[in-house]
Amino acid sequence: MAGVVPDLTLIRPAVRPAVRPRRATEEGPFIRWTLIVITVLFFAAFLVLPLVTVFVEAFRKGTEYYFKALSDPIAWSAIKLTLVTAAIAVPLNTVFGLAAAWAITRFSFRGRQFLSTLIDLPLWVSPVIGGLIYVLLFGTQSPFSPWLIAHHIKIVYATPGIIIATVFVTFPFVARGLIPLMQNQGVAEEEAALTLGAHGWQVFFRVTIPKIKWGLLYSVILSNARAMGEFGAVSVVSGHIRGLTNTIPLQIEILYNEYSFAAAFALASLLSLLGLATLALKTYIEWRAGGRPS
Amino acid sequence: MSIRIDGLNKNFEDFTALKDVSLEVHTGKLVALLGPSGSGKTTLLRVIAGLEFADSGRVFFNDKDVTEHSAYERRAGFVFQHYALFQHLSVFDNIAFGLEVRPRATRPSKDEIRERVHCLLQLIQLEDLAKRFPSQLSGGQRQRVALARALAIEPHVLLLDEPFGALDAKVRKELRAWLRRFHNETHITSLFVTHDQEEAFEVADEVVILNHGSIQQIGAPKKIQTEPANAFVQDFLGLDFEI
Repeated sequence: MAGVVPDLTLIRPAVRPAVRPRRATEEGPFIRWTLIVITVLFFAAFLVLPLVTVFVEAFRKGTEYYFKALSDPIAWSAIKLTLVTAAIAVPLNTVFGLAAAWAITRFSFRGRQFLSTLIDLPLWVSPVIGGLIYVLLFGTQSPFSPWLIAHHIKIVYATPGIIIATVFVTFPFVARGLIPLMQNQGVAEEEAALTLGAHGWQVFFRVTIPKIKWGLLYSVILSNARAMGEFGAVSVVSGHIRGLTNTIPLQIEILYNEYSFAAAFALASLLSLLGLATLALKTYIEWRAGGRPS
Repeated sequence: MSIRIDGLNKNFEDFTALKDVSLEVHTGKLVALLGPSGSGKTTLLRVIAGLEFADSGRVFFNDKDVTEHSAYERRAGFVFQHYALFQHLSVFDNIAFGLEVRPRATRPSKDEIRERVHCLLQLIQLEDLAKRFPSQLSGGQRQRVALARALAIEPHVLLLDEPFGALDAKVRKELRAWLRRFHNETHITSLFVTHDQEEAFEVADEVVILNHGSIQQIGAPKKIQTEPANAFVQDFLGLDFEI
């Protein structure tokens, strides 16, 4: 190999076939190029352009202003609240999602189909309604209200409410990601483990978890991205108390409404980075999961 | 160890899988469960393994009632039609699995496990492939690994569910002969399910013929072929007798 660099320009004409092999499903060049151009243009206009804009706007007043905007105490508290919310909501939904996927794919019981459908509920209803439910359930008009006040428990317009609303919005992700996967894989490996003398938990940790780990990780990062980016449901229960109950998305809206565009975009760039990181991780997972199981 | 089954009944919603099935598999025998698809042979095997529970009836291993025992208590080696190897574990770890999951008190040491796995790899003639993953093996190799994995726990009985059903004809014949030789050496009580009568008659000491969840005939291959018990057996085996 070393030392000999073949001149590719000489080789190429001989190697290239005179006619590209055509498949029955391949359309003529006109349709092919039209579809490709439409896809690329759409992608550029609706995805790339906005993403670039976020970063351009964020740095409009310079790097110094960008970092100042991010280190502002109110912005910082929004970042912290977002992280805390995700750190609680995501593990909760991971456990719930695993349990639900397990129950739905492994047991047959009355109402299984109904439960499977019900898990999707947060995807159908507007997130605003999701938030409103909890305001009505735990707010001052609710029947629980006197009890909550007597025990000094504040849910609505406080961190617990934000966490609950986030859990509501993100809870389908893990279960939805795992159910088709687990249905597809079947239970033969688990049965084999049982006949080899493994107990329930051993089967779970040594067989089931390794089987679903990439799907699980994939669902968890999607759930995390949604938890950090959620606006509607959180907006209703938050009460928008600056430095206390504003998550990053809510803080962005406030800054934007106050015409602090650069500060708003600085925070928005953080969320965008999270999105990009999620995308990179997702691609990596798909690549790993597609390869040899290890 | 012998297997005794007493009056098993099993229904799946409105489908009757087993109807009053009683059977005895004597210690050291190799018995085939033969029948058309849907005849209940796989269900019967799974009930014996503890992977399925009957609606009524009892299962005994050597006069010990194991009806209520779960699969992991029964110590019945089970070989699945589609291998059911652990995809994320190497051949070595697949075979070692049953030993690794034992409680500390009865678990062999790492060295003992390694030794035993290597013995089994030798037995199935796949010593060179210990580090491979199941996806890198051929069907015949996978089924041999599955056999070794089931044997690693030193099972009381060996249950095989259409073990050669997913293999091509040549490999099937080889493995069939191998199983017979293996049984002649170990005499582990074995029960295998098949819908292939040639396989059943060639390999087994005794053949049990099932249809619609009930036993039609039990007997040595020769006896069944010369004296079919009823019209179904005669028809199923394709025997034309002049009456």
